[in-house]
Amino acid sequence: MSDGSVQSMTLRSRQSYRRAQKLAPIVFLAPAIILLSVFLLYPLIYSFELSFLDWNGLGDGARFTGFDNWERLLSDAVFWQSALNNIYLAVFSVLIQLPIAVLLAVVLDEASKGSRILKILYFIPLLMSSVALGVLFKNIFDPNFGPINSILTELGLYDWTQDWLGDPDFALGSVIAVVCWQNVPFYMVLFLAALSSFPREIVEAANLDGASQSTIFWRLKLPHLQGTFRTAVLLAVIGSMRYFDLVYVMTDGGPEHSSEMMATYMYHTVFNSFEMGYGSTIASAMFIIITVIAAVSMRLSKRFETEI
Amino acid sequence: MQLTLSNRITKLLCGVAVAGLLPVSGALADDAKVITSWDLQTQERTVATIRDAADRFEAANPGFKVEDSHIANDAYKTKLKIAFGANEAPCVFTSWGGGPLREYIKAGKVTNLTPYLEKNKDFADRFLPASFSPAKYQGDIYGLPVMGTAVAVVIYNKDIFKKLNIEPPKTWTELMDVVKVLNENKIAPFALANKAKWPGSMFFVYLADRIGGPEVFQKAADREPGGSFEDPTFIKAGEMLQDLVKAGGFARGYNGLDYDIGGSRRLLYSGRAAMELMGSWEFGSIANENPEFAKNVGFFTFPAVEGGKGNPNNAIGTMGDNYISINADCPYQDAAFDLLKFSTDDRAAELKMEDNKILPIKNAKVEDPYLAGVMEAVGKAPSIQLWYDQELAPALAEVHKDTTQQLLGLSITPEEAAAKMEAVAKGLANK
Repeated sequence: MSDGSVQSMTLRSRQSYRRAQKLAPIVFLAPAIILLSVFLLYPLIYSFELSFLDWNGLGDGARFTGFDNWERLLSDAVFWQSALNNIYLAVFSVLIQLPIAVLLAVVLDEASKGSRILKILYFIPLLMSSVALGVLFKNIFDPNFGPINSILTELGLYDWTQDWLGDPDFALGSVIAVVCWQNVPFYMVLFLAALSSFPREIVEAANLDGASQSTIFWRLKLPHLQGTFRTAVLLAVIGSMRYFDLVYVMTDGGPEHSSEMMATYMYHTVFNSFEMGYGSTIASAMFIIITVIAAVSMRLSKRFETEI
Repeated sequence: MQLTLSNRITKLLCGVAVAGLLPVSGALADDAKVITSWDLQTQERTVATIRDAADRFEAANPGFKVEDSHIANDAYKTKLKIAFGANEAPCVFTSWGGGPLREYIKAGKVTNLTPYLEKNKDFADRFLPASFSPAKYQGDIYGLPVMGTAVAVVIYNKDIFKKLNIEPPKTWTELMDVVKVLNENKIAPFALANKAKWPGSMFFVYLADRIGGPEVFQKAADREPGGSFEDPTFIKAGEMLQDLVKAGGFARGYNGLDYDIGGSRRLLYSGRAAMELMGSWEFGSIANENPEFAKNVGFFTFPAVEGGKGNPNNAIGTMGDNYISINADCPYQDAAFDLLKFSTDDRAAELKMEDNKILPIKNAKVEDPYLAGVMEAVGKAPSIQLWYDQELAPALAEVHKDTTQQLLGLSITPEEAAAKMEAVAKGLANK
């Protein structure tokens, strides 16, 4: 609104204008706030509320038990094992997925010919449903009929064959490998998008100055990816902390909870053990842990960024 | 411009609102009374037998419609739980009876069928009395057996046994000898797919039953005086299970293979494993998947344990396999019971028989040799123990499955496993 029209207003209309100005943010924000409260805030508070109950999730038989569930959680070895597994998954996601994704993105960005086919090929894992992938990899890892052990045997490396999903020492590693394989394409696309905004002239200028490919990569392109990297780390960490689907299909957290994730453990307590209260405690603890870890990793990646 | 746009949006929104109301008005106009019914049968033939009962019910009860949904095993458990939690559960539903059904009963969600059965004496008396026990709570009946009798037996490859000149073992010692011979011939004795933990549990349940008889478990589960999951019976069962593992009793990967995708049956088909302890429904699965191999399959009941108190004729399994119950909130209780009747009447039993499922009714005539063998074993059994993971309260059942998988993985001692069970059982009893 221009100055002139404001001055021409009467006192009264000016007052109502001010009131409207105060009201406007509330009106515009209301839909978002209502949506967030109904679908985010309320369930969040409700699940904290449930964590103080002993309830099977059916009917009215809920009993208030104070901090009993939380005490149980603190001494629940399976929960801490699962939290640790989530952390392993997060660390390996960042250490394995992101470097491979950056590498693929840079290579695909460089290669003009045939890169479209490669892009599609690399992107396929992300398009497959986790359930189909889980069944596929269950067969691939099958210790008796799966191709991995067959190939190892053919190569004369029988001693290297393993019970990939049935041995507690290998189940988590096998699952993490598949999770990484599935998610690399997502980060690759993220980095590809960032690289496409990288000015060609700079590369050309650097080439003229005689900079080697590796110099261009380390000195120019990688710094350019900083911001994307930070987003990617955050997404990978948060995604890993609440990972569920592929693990559920492949091992269901087993054997002996060796590949249990916090989310699969929560699922088991709520739906197999009928312990709605304790399951909600796990969910609430997950919320706290993820928030803390997200904050820490945001802080860390910021520091990492300033160091580069 | 501004005005016309908002006008247009208003119109659009009104349109959406009206469209949203349409289904409701449609439902009001056509006032069929709908009875929703959920089960966990997904095989075409089995679903057809269920629909046949629904069709006959609809014909006998004009104005009623049955909406049947068929949901795959594991998804079903979750879906049913959520539906009941949200008060959106179907009128009629099936379950395995036992612990999970009792959770629903305790929450007041299931209709007591005893008064109905008393009114329909002739119908009720057709069932074998023992068949109701998994669906009983405090003396009342909450579900009718709807699928068929299923007990765990040892399925074996007759060719391999013949070639190696071995006989189906009658005792545990003989079984261990068979295990030895098979291993010497580089054939894995048992195929086991224990990712879901219930297939491995069958070994533990049989051993405990053979060693101590069914009373030991019953007393421990019911928290009777003297009953305990630390009873020497359970510790001995754990030891024998671990002996079997150490003797090379199981094909590689047993704790990670997935039963649902045929992880264990594949081992049988390829001749890499000779035996499998599994519910008698396995005959049907094998016949469907590999009819050629099915001709080559025999079965024997779980061997006796020398010096054990349990009758070697005892079986584990269930006479109903699935139990059909009525949701207490269903508005059409009487009609729903009528549907239950059609689902378990003589015609239904006949159709189920064609589908290799034997409803536990008196005078069922069984022609299939495998099923006849199973029924003979059932007839001789003084006790049929429901699977522990279905019988126990769900939280305790989870501990049972966990500890059994750990026993099989040799990562826990039988004493530790027993102590864990007892601790959780005590905790639940004190609630």
